[in-house]
Amino acid sequence: MYGSDIKRRNPAAQAGVPSGDDVMNNYAGSDPYGPNPLKPAFQQHQANLNNREHPSHHAPVWRQYSSNKYIRFYQENDHVLIPAFLTLLSFWTRFRDIKSSNYVVWDEFGSYYIKGDFYFDVHPPLGKILVGLSGALAGYDGTFSFDSGATYPDMGYGFMRIFNAFFGAVMVPFAYFTAQELNMSRTACIFAAVLVLCDNAYLTISRFILLDSMLLASTCFVLYCHTRFRNERHDPFSLDWWLWLAMTGVAIGLVSSVKLVGLFVTALVGLYTVEELWELFGDLSLPKTTYIKHWVARAACLIALPFSVYVASFALHFAILRNSGPGDAQMSSLFQAGLNGNQFSSNPLEVIYGSKVTIKNTGYGGGLLHSHVQTYPEGSGQQQVTCYHHKDTNNDWIIKRAHGESLDFEENQNLRDGDIVRLVHESTGRNLHSHRIKAPVTSSQWEVSGYGGDNTPDSNDEWILEIAEEQSSLPRNGILRSLTTTFRLRHRMLGCLLTAENVNLPQWGFRQIEVTCDQRNRTSSPHSIWNVEQHWNDKLPPGGQSQYKSRFWRDFWHLNVAMMTSNNALIPDPDKEDVLASNPSQWPLLAVGLRMCGWGDDMVKFYLLGNPIVWWFSTLSILVCGLSFGFYIIRRQRKLQDISPAEWDHFQYVGKTLVGGWFLHYLPFCIMGRVTYLHHYFPALYFSILLLSFMMDHFLQKPSISAKTRTIVWAVAFTAVVATFLFFWDISYGIKGPVDPQMRNRQWRAAWNIIDDHKPNTFI
Amino acid sequence: MKGSKMADSSESTLRQRSTTPTVAQPTETADDGDRKEVVTSVFTPAEQRQSLVVLLVLSLIAFGTRFYKIYEPDEVVFDEVHFGKFASYYIRGTYFFDVHPPLAKMMLGAMGYLIGYDGHFLFDNIGDSYISNNVPYIGLRALPASLGALTVPIIYMTMREAGYPILTCALAGFLVTFDNMLVTQTRLILLDSMLVFFMVCSIYSYVRFYKTRNNPFSIRWWFWLIATGVSIAMTTSVKMVGLFTVATIGVAVVWDLWVLLDIRRGLTMQEFMKHFWARAFGLILVPIIIYLFWFYVHFAVLTHSGPGDDFMSSEFQETLHGNSMADGLYIKYGDNITIRHKDTSVYLHSHPHNYPLRYDDGRISSAGQQVTGYEHADPNNIWHIASDDPNDPKTGQQVMHKDVIRLLHVATSSWLLTHDVASPTMSTNEEITTYSTDEDGSRFNETTFQIHLESGGDKLRTMASTFKLIHMDTKVAVWTHPQKLPEWGFEQQEVNGNKNILQKSVLWWSDNIEGKDAAEIEKEANKPVKKRNFFLKFAELQGKMFSHNAGLTGKHPYQSSPIEWPFLIKGISFWTHNDTRKQIYLIGNPIGMWVAVAGLAVIVGVTGADVLSRRRGFYPLNYDVHKRFYYATGFFFVGWALHYFPFFLMGRALFLHHYMPALVFSYMVLAAVHGFMFTEGVDGPISEPGPQVRPRRLKRAVVPVIAYGTAAILMAWHLGSFLFFAPLTYGTSAIDVPGLARRKLLSQWEFHFAK
Repeated sequence: MYGSDIKRRNPAAQAGVPSGDDVMNNYAGSDPYGPNPLKPAFQQHQANLNNREHPSHHAPVWRQYSSNKYIRFYQENDHVLIPAFLTLLSFWTRFRDIKSSNYVVWDEFGSYYIKGDFYFDVHPPLGKILVGLSGALAGYDGTFSFDSGATYPDMGYGFMRIFNAFFGAVMVPFAYFTAQELNMSRTACIFAAVLVLCDNAYLTISRFILLDSMLLASTCFVLYCHTRFRNERHDPFSLDWWLWLAMTGVAIGLVSSVKLVGLFVTALVGLYTVEELWELFGDLSLPKTTYIKHWVARAACLIALPFSVYVASFALHFAILRNSGPGDAQMSSLFQAGLNGNQFSSNPLEVIYGSKVTIKNTGYGGGLLHSHVQTYPEGSGQQQVTCYHHKDTNNDWIIKRAHGESLDFEENQNLRDGDIVRLVHESTGRNLHSHRIKAPVTSSQWEVSGYGGDNTPDSNDEWILEIAEEQSSLPRNGILRSLTTTFRLRHRMLGCLLTAENVNLPQWGFRQIEVTCDQRNRTSSPHSIWNVEQHWNDKLPPGGQSQYKSRFWRDFWHLNVAMMTSNNALIPDPDKEDVLASNPSQWPLLAVGLRMCGWGDDMVKFYLLGNPIVWWFSTLSILVCGLSFGFYIIRRQRKLQDISPAEWDHFQYVGKTLVGGWFLHYLPFCIMGRVTYLHHYFPALYFSILLLSFMMDHFLQKPSISAKTRTIVWAVAFTAVVATFLFFWDISYGIKGPVDPQMRNRQWRAAWNIIDDHKPNTFI
Repeated sequence: MKGSKMADSSESTLRQRSTTPTVAQPTETADDGDRKEVVTSVFTPAEQRQSLVVLLVLSLIAFGTRFYKIYEPDEVVFDEVHFGKFASYYIRGTYFFDVHPPLAKMMLGAMGYLIGYDGHFLFDNIGDSYISNNVPYIGLRALPASLGALTVPIIYMTMREAGYPILTCALAGFLVTFDNMLVTQTRLILLDSMLVFFMVCSIYSYVRFYKTRNNPFSIRWWFWLIATGVSIAMTTSVKMVGLFTVATIGVAVVWDLWVLLDIRRGLTMQEFMKHFWARAFGLILVPIIIYLFWFYVHFAVLTHSGPGDDFMSSEFQETLHGNSMADGLYIKYGDNITIRHKDTSVYLHSHPHNYPLRYDDGRISSAGQQVTGYEHADPNNIWHIASDDPNDPKTGQQVMHKDVIRLLHVATSSWLLTHDVASPTMSTNEEITTYSTDEDGSRFNETTFQIHLESGGDKLRTMASTFKLIHMDTKVAVWTHPQKLPEWGFEQQEVNGNKNILQKSVLWWSDNIEGKDAAEIEKEANKPVKKRNFFLKFAELQGKMFSHNAGLTGKHPYQSSPIEWPFLIKGISFWTHNDTRKQIYLIGNPIGMWVAVAGLAVIVGVTGADVLSRRRGFYPLNYDVHKRFYYATGFFFVGWALHYFPFFLMGRALFLHHYMPALVFSYMVLAAVHGFMFTEGVDGPISEPGPQVRPRRLKRAVVPVIAYGTAAILMAWHLGSFLFFAPLTYGTSAIDVPGLARRKLLSQWEFHFAK
């Protein structure tokens, strides 16, 4: 038997009649709206449970309605009015004075999708597309560059901020209703909503054109859908069950399409699903076909559906960004050819001897084969050959025949699989060369250098062309075509493959990527595979965009891998301490705040800082939850039951979901090597906020607590949260004018730097 | 409900039946009248004699494999560079720093001391000759080799105590004996053989301890509890990897305590707490004391200044004989001093040349006098310390922490200053320059710096103090970095004002007071070595060990990632000799290791299938087999997992030999899996009977011919593979090119002389 203590929405509630907790408790098990045709037995049971759980503070069986019609109206509708009022407060706090700073704060952005220039970013596109949408609605033309600190032109940035703040504001009702789904008391639901409403950090981060508010809102949405789905578990395959399962799937898709951090909440739902399927697996009375149906339903709604949403966001991304832009280099050459304004599509299609080409590595983040007059300081001392991401004439190579073989310029001779070629660096005249000298960094492989020239025959200049793949639908006849054909270059004498493996050279090589001749013969490694990117040859007709079509799935995959790679590459520079970055250990107890903009006297200064009471006590609640769990489980091992099996089951579920959610959103940042900032903690905070509310409710519901104590504790809690919020009000809404020295009393922790510039950091 | 039945059956696996009448007990077995005396030992005396013979033979072979031509190569091999050197330092008593705790190195030092080695040789390069340097290296190698060999009998005995038949135990011992990696690594002057030895001692002791659980608090129980605690402490005192062993034992202990806590066991809370505190004493307190003890010995032996000084704080260094820190002189206002950068050791320098007004990149400077970092001693490195109050020169007063000072460049008679002008190479940092004393005092505010002492007490001293110079006006720290200035700056190092004053590289120290009166120096210098609290020293060293270990991120050509280890993707070249084309290449026994991976996979597969079928109410494994599978084999598997997976979380450079502890467990698992697959039933009971234990029925395993057959085949393959790779393991004979090509089973094995 598990968790029967779940409240069901009464159908009558939707019609505006008192329902929810009140119905359950007031009628003491007798349902005044008649038996529910769908699940009467469950409701009956439910009402009994609720009655047992709240034995003291719902003494009157019938609620005493006031004779005043307004009060009565409130009493009858408080389950709607309370969240509505909180939501209105939320909108007011998030929207008020939103244009107070008319310059770009922190990482505000918004031009990408309006201009349609292809850009590259580590985050999936959905959130940014929505921001683009808001810009379009505001009539913004996409010409502003959004440099941090720049002043906004007249472009409707206020609307764009309000659009973002909307997402931040809906967190409040989500918190309220999620708490309700987690079967918390009315007071605890309100408390959860107030904690979110009065967290200064949530307030501040929501008010700018950033992805975080969307991420937070969609994380809240996932959790809400998930809890609703769980509450349907006694009635599998019902309409509501399907609805909320599918909604969970859609929500997962949305959150993951905003930021990859969404994968953490996805993992939470995944773990819950595994556990649920495991429970069902142990139910020997369940027919096997039903069990399989459970699997299929979840696979469809929690894997296929979110994935479709994710892919759709990328389809939209590619569809909107039609122009060549700053992100081109992250994509395959073939993809770039399809962008408007890109020169590649005028490449002649088939490469011939004598063509001038640039050669790109197909590995993720691969650059263009490059050489420059600087020489290796060690090894052969010959001219350096590297991979380089920027476009310049040192990337240009001319394809020639091997030494001694004449080239008939009259005849256009195609390059074919197996040809022996020589690559001459155009600006220095050196041949691409390799020899038995250890490469400078990857010392297990051979060095590649620029050596000699047309008149110094050396067989170490000769490379065998091996066609790897033809990516277009043209015949696979072993002809080298620009963009669409990938190939390897094998050194004829050494048999090794020309390879660039994203290993950076030291400063003498300008930290460009090392190129080696790899002896391991890994023919399928993308780092050993190349393609012709740009191709010039006057004797050949230009190609056209129609000849250079890339496939969606290939681009989708490529872009995702590139995102992962560059996300992992955002590692902190050990020589430089970033003042804005913080360590995950500093977050739970709010050891740091974050200056979101310049701190000049004439600026409106935003200091990203949580509500310390909210942060400290929500962190404490995790500890308390862990200790209570340990306490209960040890007592149960001694057969001492402090709470009923149903309560224990529910406690376990909520604990696992919220503590699990917190850990999943927090621990990865501790393990990740990348640079971390305070706002990375915000999703985790949401889980601990709900947990704080739940734990308070849990203890205050104990029969040994008197109604008076309960009231006092809640009153103190509400007062502390709201008062602290108001105390930090100025900081959250921006400090106008010079920082008042009075603000020093806001610096509750040593490293908060609202006033002073440099402060020692504490680690916790 | 299924749950209750499962709970009952797991209860019955506990094997200890309470006779307390208040607790319901399942009674499905063991009521057929067998008496306790019958089952004190499940093995007959004949079997025990057989077992002893097998044990002796295995031990002899193990010693043979480890000591075979131990005198070759007579040169420094691989990390003998480090550990041999450390042994020498122990004998000399000079302080050194290493990321590993001291025990194993101390054992090597003690071994050297015993055989009369004086520590004269420093093992500087791989390939240095021991013969011509007159080093008793055979004696030094004998210690790890002996412990490496003794590992084999202990593993045999552990398996035996865990109740496996002789064949299974012998198989485990055989696999460990003939693993090439374990042989190579244990016959050289390295730490891993001590590590593995103490690790298997821990496991053995715990198995013995667990078997005495029916007689809690008896002498034997206490003995094996303390032995476990001592062993895990010794393991951890060799390498921090020992913490994985602690975790392995910890998992078993927590699980055991959880079972004891169960009310159905009939223990009162007082009795339970007694169990708890006994384990806390034996497995936490005792190990901590032993661990600290070795550090105490470490500090007691290493009393002289040595290569490790620089890693430590100046307070620490002052405790060492002959350390320059102990000679620090107090600096007073009016002294002329030289100031050096802690990280790059350059002097703060200035000279009568100015910054170019316009740099190559078009930015503009103040065209003030250059301030640079210069490597060599020079009169231009001398700075005069002045107070910030022109009316009160404070001459003769000591410079204290947080004093505000001005620095006068003596040779050019100009004040050091910084201001809001971009530095020559970094536009984010402030330019540092000077202005002449001839000019008016309008720039006074730009010349004041606050001195922040980071170590060496509250008063500024030469040598001992490190400090930051924070500009009062703009709050930047005087800083330098290895970037060289162009020709106009004589390619000296750039000095600029760094806005990030928290950076660790803004530290400076003063190495000299110019013209200090000789008598005064004499008077101050003859200070005795300082004493420092052991716990402070320990805490500092332990912290440095951790941070340094985490900092070992440099790339190494032979490093590998943990995922490659079980599959033996990559080896390590230990030693080569060009003339004879001999080499030592660290590689495990491929047959053994690959089959061991299969064994681990079998565990995962069987566990998965068992859990799934139990969930559906079907119990595929016989009760006794099931119990042995989880309690013994499962324990070894957990040992493997805990000695392997944590490496995935480590950022430092990792090597194949880090897999050694896990490898030993994987061989034990493999032998156990072999037993599981080919032996029928299990021998039991194996635990001591106790006063509360009901009579138990004797159960015997049947070892069929096929078990002997398959074991023989596996051993033959393992041995063959060992011999095939033996030349690379021992480095005693050269292999020709085709021979190497034959041995290169994977393309990533980069043998030398292969062409």
